[in-house]
Amino acid sequence: MTPALKRIALGVLGAVVSLGACAGPKGFKDSWMTMGDFGPNWREGVANYSLTARDAVGAASIYMRSDDEAKTRQLTEATYTRLLGRWNLPNAQANVWFIGGLGSVTGNDFAGSKAMASPGIQVDYETTRVYASVFGRLYRAGALNHDFLSARAGFSFYEVDYDQIQPWLVVEARRMRSLSDKTEVTPMLRLIHNRYFVELGVNNFRQARLNFMYIF
Amino acid sequence: MKQIIAILALAAAAFPSVAATSLKATVNGMVCAFCAQGIEKRISKMSATKAIFVDLKKKTVAVEAKDGMTLDEKAIAAEIVEAGYDVVKLETVQMSVAEIKAELKARK
Repeated sequence: MTPALKRIALGVLGAVVSLGACAGPKGFKDSWMTMGDFGPNWREGVANYSLTARDAVGAASIYMRSDDEAKTRQLTEATYTRLLGRWNLPNAQANVWFIGGLGSVTGNDFAGSKAMASPGIQVDYETTRVYASVFGRLYRAGALNHDFLSARAGFSFYEVDYDQIQPWLVVEARRMRSLSDKTEVTPMLRLIHNRYFVELGVNNFRQARLNFMYIF
Repeated sequence: MKQIIAILALAAAAFPSVAATSLKATVNGMVCAFCAQGIEKRISKMSATKAIFVDLKKKTVAVEAKDGMTLDEKAIAAEIVEAGYDVVKLETVQMSVAEIKAELKARK
């Protein structure tokens, strides 16, 4: 695989991972959730509808560009999110999620499209002051065949009332097997409100990232 | 004197005290305001709901009934569960949401 393709794959997986590794990749029953992830080389939009308290269906669209800006990819997929397990403790919550997608990818350097499947599992634990998650996802589309793992950990500076904004510092570390020998590390400022969720960060490659979630 | 007492008694009877009624739920798993908004949104839509208050630190959801209406305990508990949480205790109190909120703040 050429270095350019590796960078593209890195960008794709980075976009997918940053949205998947959140506190909750779906809203409450009968709600719509929208999520966005924006960076210099990728733009991703996701919308899903929660059919039940545990299941959501939706769609995602990802535009990405290689670091040299020569190659682009456009991914479109139908998504399914399932809460596999939840433990509601007195002062904490732990979850296991399945996040999967089926769709197609096109590129400016190959004709037609390739079928894509992207099943993943996320495990997370949080309190009002601490957050931790691990997310693993396969990304398979013809010759594109990647596995990756990301881990997030963070803490909130202080507790707030329900209707106030709570700031967090969250750090994500991500590594992809057979794609790159580098570990991408992104410290982020996370702002949680009862109506919106925003993350802003800069990774160790000096790339800015913006992530948001909104439920309506 | 007797007339004054009688007048005062009639005046008191004409204005009976009406205490607000609320349901107070203790909820497990409620650690994130963004995730807990489902509780507020779903219960606010219920016809008997006058006001609702969520306190993550005290693990409390308080729902006040509209005047003359009764809150459905089972339905409210079901909505909290549908929002993704566990109800460990549910009690009826003769307090308004504002009073419950003030009481919880005083405990800090």
